[in-house]
Amino acid sequence: MTSAPSAKQFKALGEEVWKSKVEKINAELFTLTYGSLVVQLVKDYEDYSEVNKQLEQMGYNIGQRLIEDFLARSGIGRCVEFRDTAEAVSKLGFKMFLNITPNVANWSSDMKEFSLIFDENPLTEFVELPEDALEGGLWYSNIYCGVLRGALEMVQMQVETTFVSDVLRGDDATEIRVKLIRYLEEEVPAGED
Amino acid sequence: MSNEINCIALIGKQNNPLYLKNFSNTHPDLKYHYIAHTSIDVIEERVASGPKNLDLYLGLLYAMEDLAVYGYMTNTRVKFVVVVSVTEGIIRDADMKTIFKKIHSAYLSQVCNPFYNLDSQRSIDSKAFIQAIETIGVNANSKATMEI
Repeated sequence: MTSAPSAKQFKALGEEVWKSKVEKINAELFTLTYGSLVVQLVKDYEDYSEVNKQLEQMGYNIGQRLIEDFLARSGIGRCVEFRDTAEAVSKLGFKMFLNITPNVANWSSDMKEFSLIFDENPLTEFVELPEDALEGGLWYSNIYCGVLRGALEMVQMQVETTFVSDVLRGDDATEIRVKLIRYLEEEVPAGED
Repeated sequence: MSNEINCIALIGKQNNPLYLKNFSNTHPDLKYHYIAHTSIDVIEERVASGPKNLDLYLGLLYAMEDLAVYGYMTNTRVKFVVVVSVTEGIIRDADMKTIFKKIHSAYLSQVCNPFYNLDSQRSIDSKAFIQAIETIGVNANSKATMEI
């Protein structure tokens, strides 16, 4: 890939990588595993905002490692603009690992914030949140936020990712807001443990 | 209108009531609770007497005045009971099996919800599940005959 690839090129590359270079596992197994993980966290911490934090932290650890796999398999070079990053995340990243392509939308005027809108979410098959999870503010798929933050940090972007809405909570759509804080230069990133 | 599903009941593996839906207005819920409870005995008898019973579908368990009771038990000992009001002759096994398969599907979706506690003795109160059972009953009853 030479200069900024277009969204279409990302899409085509994503399809190709998904078809040929990715080993697949059973969807139910994956969903059930994540489900029991969340339920266990809920039992252990009993506080939904703490569970959200833990999910995000786990995602962060996953993201830091996942980015290497992503770069190796997709073979793409550096993104020139944040816009390309967004497209790469949605059409390559999510496609390769989950076979979904969330829509990139709601760009802010300074082009430093965007939303990912999911019309399907493999983590939430069969899931119904109980009353107290709804009241307690649980973001069931919060692991995505962590994965994005961890992965992007490894390619020198510090971002803030938060859930805006979730179909599981009765909202119309599942949306994550991604905000670029700054590009990290050659400095050592602030200790994150 | 020939045959109608009057009630769908689910019974857990410890013979605890999981869910009961009364579609008719001829009998009160309580009557169907009794029927479902009686069915447990019949099912256990059937299963005990025929250990080579490989089929989940148990067929007609018993019949009373105007009602026929059909049973189905999963390998995990969860029992489904469907009570049908019999006004005309034939209810096809194939139709009943289809209904039970749909109930089984709805139950599967419910079980896969990580927040559903399998061991709790409480009955199911998930909206999706209630809706699914409702749909099964309504669809079956809205056909003029029992063809699904």
